[in-house]
Amino acid sequence: MKYYCVLLIAVLSLVLFLSLQDIPVAQDLMPASSHYVNSGVRDTGATNLVNAILFDYRGFDTLGEATVIFASAAAFKMLFSHKRIFSFRYGLSPIVKTGMGIYSPFIFIFGIYVIMAGHISPGGGFQGGVIIASLSILLTLVYGLWYKVRRTVFSPAISSNIESIGGFLFLGIGLTGILTGNYFLSNLDAGFFAGTPGHMFSAGSIPILNIASGLKVAAGLSIIFYSIAGGE
Amino acid sequence: MNLLLSYIYYLFLLLLVISAVFSIASKNLLCSVIFMSLFNLFMVIIFLLLQAPDVAMAEAVVGMGFTTALFIITISKTKEEEK
Amino acid sequence: MKFTLVFIIVIMSIGLYGVLAKDNLIKKVIGISIMEGAVFLFLVSYGYRQDGAPPIITGYETRIVDPVPQALTLTAIVIGASTTALMLGIIIKIFNNYKTLETKEIRRLRG
Repeated sequence: MKYYCVLLIAVLSLVLFLSLQDIPVAQDLMPASSHYVNSGVRDTGATNLVNAILFDYRGFDTLGEATVIFASAAAFKMLFSHKRIFSFRYGLSPIVKTGMGIYSPFIFIFGIYVIMAGHISPGGGFQGGVIIASLSILLTLVYGLWYKVRRTVFSPAISSNIESIGGFLFLGIGLTGILTGNYFLSNLDAGFFAGTPGHMFSAGSIPILNIASGLKVAAGLSIIFYSIAGGE
Repeated sequence: MNLLLSYIYYLFLLLLVISAVFSIASKNLLCSVIFMSLFNLFMVIIFLLLQAPDVAMAEAVVGMGFTTALFIITISKTKEEEK
Repeated sequence: MKFTLVFIIVIMSIGLYGVLAKDNLIKKVIGISIMEGAVFLFLVSYGYRQDGAPPIITGYETRIVDPVPQALTLTAIVIGASTTALMLGIIIKIFNNYKTLETKEIRRLRG
């Protein structure tokens, strides 16, 4: 059985190599990429080109990706709906609890910084959102599950509300483009504030879309972790 | 890239292949998950050598923080009882 | 560039072997995750230009690396993590019902 698998994999990899070996090593940029590089800062006002492509030129694909995270979190909540075995009942030793109490505000502020400065430096909505979700994993491991349930900011009950707020913010910015006479998810044509490139408050609606996407990703991944760890 | 950086790039590609082989072929499930996390670490370094800081940050946070935690919780919940 | 292509095909075939030939369900999920990693590497490595700078405009660069494959890879990473998480949840449900994780045993037991 295993020898048939090795033979099949050898044949498939040979076919893959023969069909991909003639892709030429380019020296200049492709036509679409050179248009994005030459007129990116003038069209959108953001200096981070990957963020400008993700939230302005191809904003509709980012909406689809946010829908995938929403569907995954909803399916998880359906699978694990009963209160089951508690596995993180007691936390760790008091040394770790004291150290974590000093560390966790700095991690939270770093996550918010990565979300807010997405259009200037490397970062954006996704990276900052997953940093905040990993902060909720860390607090559950260190303090135990009973402590987490009683808090108000990272509790499981408020996470679904935050995810809905993020989704509606994204759709609301998109519909503003239609209400002013342009296309869905338009940036500078719809009248958003575009300052000088390189400052914090610039680039039209890209910071607002970053915040909406960061809220959605953080809340969605938090719900996935709380369902699988035995919360409510 | 100059010559030294290209040698470092090929060295990290070789380490990537070695960690993937060890991840599939080991008998202990916990060892497989740790080598999976090492695979994601070497991918982060290769993305930095290819001048892509956004992708490296996303892969670091997702691959080494979120997926490894979920794997370890799954392994601890599906262990058979000792007879 | 052919050197990078050979390495990527080797990693992809290692992942495919892990999905096809291993019996434990968790090893199959690890194999799928390794195959996704090979695809990310392929996308980003074909967007690299010689002596290029990262795609952030500060006014001092001459050549910039291609920014479009990096945007595609960013979306693909998050979707891959969501899919892996859902697969692990279904594995926990299978263990609650069958009390084992080997595919040979699951095919034999009936209910």
